[in-house]
Parts: sequence; structure tokens; C-alpha cells
Amino acid sequence: MKFGFEKRDRMPGYMRILNPVIFVILALAFCGILILTLGFNPLSVYTKMLKSAFGTGRGLSQSILYSIPLMLCGLAVSVAFKMNLNNIGAEGQYAIGAFAATAIVQFLPPMPVCIQLPVMFLVAIIAGAIWGGIAVLPKAFWDVNETIVTLMLNYVALLVLDYVCYGPWRNTTLTVPYTDTFPESAWLPNIPGTNIGIGFLIAIVVAIVIYLFFRFTTSGYQISVIRNSISAAKYAGINIKKNIIIVMLISGALAGMAGFVQVCGLTHKLQPNLPNNAGFTAIVIAYLSKFNPLVVILVSIFFGGLTTGSYAVQISGVPSQVATLIQGAILLFVLAGEIFTRYKFSFSHKEKMVSANKGGEA
Amino acid sequence: MKMRKILCLILALVMVASMAACGSDSKQPADSEAASGESAAPSGDEGSASADLSSIKVGAIVNVVKGDGGWCQAQYEGLTTAMKNLGMDVDSQLIFLENIAEEQSSVQAAVDQLVNEGCNIIFGASTGYAPILSELAPSYPDVKFAQAGDKVDNIVGYQIRDYEAMFLCGYTMGLLSDSDQMGYSAGMSEASVRRGINAFALGAKAARENATVQVMWANSWYDIAAETECANTLINMGIKYIGINASSPAIPEACQAAGVYCTGYHMDIKERAPKSVVTSFIWNWAPIMEDIITKCAEGTLSTDDYYFWGSDKDCAKIAPINTDIVSDQTVIDKVAEMQDKITKGEYQVFAGELKDNKGNVLVNEGEVMSDQDILSQMFLVENVIGEW
Repeated sequence: MKFGFEKRDRMPGYMRILNPVIFVILALAFCGILILTLGFNPLSVYTKMLKSAFGTGRGLSQSILYSIPLMLCGLAVSVAFKMNLNNIGAEGQYAIGAFAATAIVQFLPPMPVCIQLPVMFLVAIIAGAIWGGIAVLPKAFWDVNETIVTLMLNYVALLVLDYVCYGPWRNTTLTVPYTDTFPESAWLPNIPGTNIGIGFLIAIVVAIVIYLFFRFTTSGYQISVIRNSISAAKYAGINIKKNIIIVMLISGALAGMAGFVQVCGLTHKLQPNLPNNAGFTAIVIAYLSKFNPLVVILVSIFFGGLTTGSYAVQISGVPSQVATLIQGAILLFVLAGEIFTRYKFSFSHKEKMVSANKGGEA
Repeated sequence: MKMRKILCLILALVMVASMAACGSDSKQPADSEAASGESAAPSGDEGSASADLSSIKVGAIVNVVKGDGGWCQAQYEGLTTAMKNLGMDVDSQLIFLENIAEEQSSVQAAVDQLVNEGCNIIFGASTGYAPILSELAPSYPDVKFAQAGDKVDNIVGYQIRDYEAMFLCGYTMGLLSDSDQMGYSAGMSEASVRRGINAFALGAKAARENATVQVMWANSWYDIAAETECANTLINMGIKYIGINASSPAIPEACQAAGVYCTGYHMDIKERAPKSVVTSFIWNWAPIMEDIITKCAEGTLSTDDYYFWGSDKDCAKIAPINTDIVSDQTVIDKVAEMQDKITKGEYQVFAGELKDNKGNVLVNEGEVMSDQDILSQMFLVENVIGEW
């Protein structure tokens, strides 16, 4: 008797929510064994992690604070992935957005806050869109692989940050490479009564807008048609080139927005390696949330919590690598568990059998 | 048509952003008041005159790990040695957080955790934390912060006069070298790195009047390929004595393979290439950290303090000279003699007349460079070949 995977028609709704939860628990159990062998009690480690990330007001706000750029980059990536456009370049678009916003502070005189912030916002998203556009024009017209181009442009963008921070924009009173602190007119305020930046609300609004866009507009519908079948889309007369370009510009703009939100809302200055891998984590977030913009917000907060909580794990004496391991294990388990949303175990139906590796799309 | 919709969306977003920005502008002061009010953290006997070290909890954050074989390891060993010397219990009184990126939200979350755990003093043990901690510190009025590297507002700064020991490294190599041409493989162009190059070159010059030091930049803090490339370029130029500023084992290994000599950086790295490493520059942070912790317990630590201690306090050290390589006792004696002079303050490394390698006079005859210029190092000295 053979056994393998059989395609399933549709997973019941409750299972689609339950599935990742089960695999998160499995990942924690797996790490629990490791923590146990290191001589710590996994239950108390996890409790501490959870409590410090979400259990206290301060912990929760730290987790959200950490997750804001993840949200915007996650949205950027999922918009592109939604039509099979692999934007691996959110990291670079984020960096360029931050760079462009800072350029306004560097080159233009201070403006009233009501003008300064919108100008910086616009410039940042336009810069992000242009950075995405560089990759997408060759894709649209000559079918150049956008994965490679967006990936490589990340390094170019990060080097641009390096250059301006070590060079012309450097705050010379410091030996470390940071720019001068922005004037307060370029500071994005916090949500009243919290220390969370207004960027959090911006991210939520963006997520809702994207959700509505895909749900209720013709363009949104066309994009999902292109995703499912390019030939069907062509047959239906959908302009594929135009859609590719539009989607990538939006994607780049959203990542650029992350740059704006971070420099104006949190750091108030530019530094090298500002994105801190948010653009890459965003790819994982996009997959985990199945490109649903509203879920992206929640998954990002979960990731923010993982980072905040990982410090608590270190404090209880567990080596810092274990904290990273927990994050990695959760990702790997949940992604591996994805296979059960589209396939199920089967034992004998030979004609329906497909090999497991075809199922592991993620 | 569709384009117009998208344009509408973008405009709507701009509106939201600008409304948000302008709307809550007036509430800003109230926010920050609330934030600083609620952040009152558990603290020890702040302000009491007696140094009760048993109630002190020390926190530290680094951007790599405590066993990195370089900078972070030196910081960790400095802290643990200091605490042991003070009779403190490292296991229960030190929280050492690793892998904290030099980035606002990570640092903020880590500091928050440390404060929640009751830390009275927090060491920002990587130089990139300076501007971030400087802004964070006022919201934790009961906690003291100390920062390696720059002196910034609101927090204590600490740095070692590393150039005194780097000078000795260059001096040793100059004494050994049979040629005027020496090399230096450097990481990123940062003040402490340039200070190392300059001190090494001045040391070499003190031993050999016409010594020059060729610099190669790896443009990375840790890049085995680039560092090997730098070392090999120098070796191919016929250079046999190389100073290094790098954490990876790449350069010592390349030197050993080519049969040339190098000095170590951060800690004694003789083990990595026993046939090549002549001596190493060693950070000894323990005396500084001991003083900071004691003053914190006494309540006499001021945020204006800046520690810039050198070999007089045993902070800037070199490893014992490798006698497998150096058989000539007179070299060892000469280095010891020079070390003694520097320790006693009889010999100043950055003393006039000193020129940079573009011909500008940095320090006039009979004068000594200010600490501020020593810290910022916006130059390479006359006998260094290279740009920064």
C-alpha cells in the first residue's frame, strides 16, 4: 500500500484557522524539548515570553511599536504576491523611502508641520514606488525576472543609506554614523495616551483600504484573475502589463511608507541598515497571512511580540540563540503545515496521488 | 478610470496622514508627560551614600553575542570581572542581552525589559546605541545608563585610550621589521578604527624613523572574504608586518599561511595563528566598569561623567609578546620601557609636531592633541598611506 498526499477540495473554515494554531503549538513543543535539554522549564519560559510580549500594557505597546514597519512591508509584499509578482525588494524600497523623507529634512528649510509631514510622506512613497518601478518596467516589457532585480536593488538601497550616513549627512558630533535629529516639525506624533506612533493607525487604514480594493473594485478583481491564470486574464482582455506596473508601484509605495513612518515616527533620524530585515521578515508575514491585508496586521503584531518576548527568554537565562530558534521553528512549522490546507493524507487512491514536494508551495 | 481610483486612494491616505499629524499636534506635550510619569521603574537605593552593592542589578545590551571573540566578549568579560572584584554575584545580578540590533525599536524593547527586571544601571555596550539611549534615558529617571564610545547627553560615556596600546603594537612591529613599509588591514572607517591606524603608524615611526603604513579597507566589520583579500593584497606588496582591526580569524590565518606577521585586536588572539601573531591589543574594561557600578551604588554617578581611561589604569593593554617569534630580548625590553613611559604619562602618542597625510599640521610643536580630537580622529597621520 502506498501513501502520500491527496488534493482536497476545500478546507473547512474552522480548520483553516485551527491549522496554523496547531502547528504553532507543535513548534513550541519541539522547542520545548530543546529548552528542557538545556535545563530550563519550557512552560515557565513560554509564560514569561507571552506575558512580557502581550501581558502588560508596556509589553503590548512595545510589540506593536516593533511591528509597524513589518505591517507596511508585509502589506507591500502581499499586494505584489497577490498577483504572483515576487517583490523581494521591500527592504530596499523601505530604505529608499526613509532616505527620500530624510532628504526633505536635509535639503529644504523647516516647514510648518501640516506641510512638512505630508510632503515627506509623499516623497517617501513616490521614492519607494520608483524603486519598485525600476524592477517592474523590465518585467512588464521584456519579462525580466523581477525576483532577482528587486533582490539586488535591496543592496543598492542599503548602500545608499550607508553612503549618506557615513558621508554627507553624518552628524559629526558622533563617531557612529547617524544623521542629525530631525526638527520637531518632522516628527510624527504618537497616538494620544500611548507611546505607539500614529504609523500604527496609518498601517491599519492602509490594510482596510487594500482589503476593500481587492474586494470591491474591478482592478482588484482583475489582479486576482491574473494571479489565478494569466491566459484567462489575457482572454478576458485584461491589460496585464498595466496591472503589473500598477501593482508594483503600489507595493513599492507601501514599503516606502514604512520608511517614512519609521524615520518620522520613531527614530527621527536616518541610520545605516535602518530596515533591520523588516523587508525580508515581511515576506514570511505575507505568506503566513495568506496575503490577506487584515491578517497581515495581526501576524505582524505576533512577530513584534516574538521579538519583544525573546528578550524575556534571554533574561530567564536561556541562550539568546534559543529565542531566535523559537521564531524560526514557528515559521517553519506553520509553513510546513500549510500543506494540509490544500492536501490531505491518503493511502490508496493512486490516480489522485500527487507528490508531496509539489504541495509545498510556500 | 482605474488610475483615477488609485490616485484617489493615495490622496485619501495623504489626507489621513496630514490630519493625523496636525490634529494631535497640540496634545504632544501632554503625551510625553504621561509617558514619563508612568515609566517610574523599580530602583535600588538611589541617592543613598552607602555603597550597597548587593541590591544593585546590572543590565547590558550588545549587538552580537558575548562569545564573539571580539568586542562584545571584551565588554562581557570586563563586566563580569568588575562585578567579581566588587564581590557581586554575576548569575543573579547581571542581565546580559545579546543580539540587540542598533535600531530604535529593538533597543527600546530591550531596555524596557531590563528596567522591568529591576536593573539600576544599564550598559549600552555597542557604540551604535549612543543616540538611541541618549533619547531614551530621560524617560527612566531612576535608572542610570552608560554608553561605550561617544559622550552623549543624559548618559555616562566610557571609552579606553586604545591608542596607547595600539601605539605599542606598531612600535613592536617597527622594532621587528627589516623594512620601512608596513601594512594595516582595517574594517570600517570609524573613529576608533582610524585611531588604531594612526597610533599604529606613530608607534612604527617611533621605532623606525621612515616607517610608512599602507592601509587596506575591508569596508565591513566581519567579512572573511574581504579581510583575506586585504591581507593578501598587503602580503603581495611585499609587506611582512601587518596591524589589524578585525574580529574574524581571516587575517591572522592568511598571514600565517604566507609566513608574515601581524598583531591582534580586541583580545589576545595568539591561539588563532601562533606562528604569526606577535602581540595583541586588549580592551580591559573592568576598571572602568567597576568604578561606574560603585558610583551608581553610592548614588554619585553623574550623567556628565565621561571615562577615558588608558594604560595608567591598566585599561589599554597588550598581550605578552610571542616569544616563539621574538627571540631578541632587547625588543621585549624596549617595548616594556616604552609602555612604562606611556603609563607614567612621560610619552604622549598624539604630540606635536604632528601632520596628517595631506600635509596639514594637526598639533603644533610642544602641544598635545585634545581629547576631543583624539576621539573624533578626522585624519590619518603623515606616514599612513591611504584615504579614509
